[in-house]
Amino acid sequence: MPEPAVAIANVTKRFDATVAVKDLSLVVPRGAVYGLLGPNGAGKTTTIRMMLDIIAPDSGSISILGRPHLDPGVLDRIGYLPEERGLYKKMQVRRVLRFLAELKGVKPKDADRRINSWLERLSLTTSEKDWGNSKIDELSRGMQQKVQFIGTLVHEPELVILDEPFSGLDPINAQALKDTVVELKRDGKTVIFSTHLMDNAERLCDSVCIIAHGEKVLDGKVDAVKESQGSRNVALALDGGTPDAVRTVLQDRKLVARADDQNRFFEIELATGADPQELLQRLVAGGARVRRFELVTPSLHQIFLERVGASGVEEGISGHG
Amino acid sequence: MGKMLVVFKREYLERVRSKWFLIATLLGPVFLGVITVLPIALASRTKSSDRLSDVIIIDATGTDLGARVSKALASTTPNAPAPRLKVVIAEQVAREEDRATHQVMNHEAVGYMVLDANTTAGKDMRYAGRNATALIDVDNIERMVRQSLLGQRLEREGIDPNRVASLTNVRLDAKTEKITDKGKEGASGLTSFFFGYGIALVLYMMIAIYGQSIMRGVLEEKTTRVAEVVVSSVKPDTLLAGKILGAGLVAVTQVSAWLLMSFLMYQVRGPLLRVFGAPAMAGAAIKIPSVAPIVGVALVLFFILGFLLYAALFGAVGAMVSNQEDVQQAATPVMLLLIASLVFMQPILLNPSSTLAKTMSWMPFSAPLMMPLRMALIAIPWYEIVGALLSVAIGCWIAIWASARIYRVGLLMYGKKPSFRELARWIRMA
Repeated sequence: MPEPAVAIANVTKRFDATVAVKDLSLVVPRGAVYGLLGPNGAGKTTTIRMMLDIIAPDSGSISILGRPHLDPGVLDRIGYLPEERGLYKKMQVRRVLRFLAELKGVKPKDADRRINSWLERLSLTTSEKDWGNSKIDELSRGMQQKVQFIGTLVHEPELVILDEPFSGLDPINAQALKDTVVELKRDGKTVIFSTHLMDNAERLCDSVCIIAHGEKVLDGKVDAVKESQGSRNVALALDGGTPDAVRTVLQDRKLVARADDQNRFFEIELATGADPQELLQRLVAGGARVRRFELVTPSLHQIFLERVGASGVEEGISGHG
Repeated sequence: MGKMLVVFKREYLERVRSKWFLIATLLGPVFLGVITVLPIALASRTKSSDRLSDVIIIDATGTDLGARVSKALASTTPNAPAPRLKVVIAEQVAREEDRATHQVMNHEAVGYMVLDANTTAGKDMRYAGRNATALIDVDNIERMVRQSLLGQRLEREGIDPNRVASLTNVRLDAKTEKITDKGKEGASGLTSFFFGYGIALVLYMMIAIYGQSIMRGVLEEKTTRVAEVVVSSVKPDTLLAGKILGAGLVAVTQVSAWLLMSFLMYQVRGPLLRVFGAPAMAGAAIKIPSVAPIVGVALVLFFILGFLLYAALFGAVGAMVSNQEDVQQAATPVMLLLIASLVFMQPILLNPSSTLAKTMSWMPFSAPLMMPLRMALIAIPWYEIVGALLSVAIGCWIAIWASARIYRVGLLMYGKKPSFRELARWIRMA
């Protein structure tokens, strides 16, 4: 068993009266894609900033790649993409990237070679135009994000930390980001990303940690997390409308603990002791044209809603981002 | 250390590459020449007005003083109207003054003077006119009245009027020379005056320009949010240090370029002055005051420490605020410290040994400008220089310590400008 990529033990951070992170412990296995999930203000960014020694924890310890995170050189092995992105506007793309690479201890000659290959790979250098010599503010937003991404990865970090990487990305760039995350994992790197988009997390992550109000709600491998919640969920898809009789069935609290109405699709959490067969019979009796009725493990989205509760949910939380 | 070098390199290269640096470096000496030489040239015009005699003399002395002054004045500017003499009694002075004021307002005269019992007593006279602020004119008028009064007194004592004229005709200009511990210097007092003024002004400009440019640089890193990426690789203190040193070296580069250009221009001063129509002789009159090596070292130290002190403060201000609107306001206290030195430059130039001058050259915030200024003007005992350097060094250390803490906290803090109380808390919690 190799050293974990990140091990956080009993970390607490206060800002004046508010506790941003409270006695948090988590372990990120090497080579994993790890999701840090939670509503806005849950303490995700604070946790990430503490890993990077941007802010110091009040108590607790953090180790990165098997060493205390304050050891010299440890931070050079991390690639970091903050939630709020930005680069020196008046600087040429190549110079910005060389600066970021050299800050991580890459030799200028190696940096230039890697930067050129990245620029080509993300089509910022083409036969028609070399954007590498343009200033940052001459680039489109999408191109700036690509440059920022190169800046995160140019020093070939073993651990990549992305804070809300999907925010502000169009579907094409979001897909490119997912591809890159998969690629990084294939190369044996560890990727940690924070998000409040559960669908992305469910598809990409090997392990997750859900935090709310600065405290860990649950963590572990995605499969295990879902198993532990039991197969008490039903995925239901109907053809045509939803008759009132069917609605009445779904509102029967003896049968259904919670029904997430997504218009043509329902994710249903069964009440304790309820029999799924009985639910199916009553639905059909109610006139529902059932296209799909499947016992499933709950989605992360469901688990999240259930465990964090409505109180922890703020605007912008959705499984469909 | 390696990372600070990376920050330092970026800071220096990006600044030196900008076209503003090139323009400022090339045009700096021209600009500096205009703002230092022009006002001095205007103020120290040695030629007085050519209408000096076009005045009204209200003589309430009951003597022939008015007539004497009138005669003396008339001879200075033969082409202008002669003075108009009004001999009155004391009670009529006010009315005559009113009338004279109107005449000056109607351009019938340049000004008027009042001679009364106080004048004959040798105390004062009054002059009002359009040229009342022209030092050289007033100086000339004063001298005429003084001479006339002296002549009148001498004649009253029974001295031959012809002899009086030759006795009182004393012009006497002071030709000044500066003496230091090493003896006489070649340059005149006036040259040291300009030299001291120039050094203090250049120091002030470098601190103000580059200090504020560091502040804007820090703010830019905040507003573009690049700060967070950078501080994930390098400690904020290292970042601030690299930025200050980088900008500092740019300032040094610029001053060196200016000095080099000045030196080259000095070498070709003869032809250069001819281009501007000055006689070739004028070139020889320009002398560069000699600077003792130890003074040079002290100047450099004052510059470095002064720059570090203000740069750290400006850096902290940049980290304190989140937008362009707030930054000027937040920088005001720091600018005031700097401008205070500039405001007191004039009185200290005139009297570099005064208590004010001594105090200002001991305070950490003003010493970097004031001590070099005084050192150029007068000989300062070594212990005063060392003391002032120590004081600046301590001030510098405190400023850097507090600024680094404010910077560390402020760099990732967005929102409202912090109050002084919040700043104090930042310093404590960093």
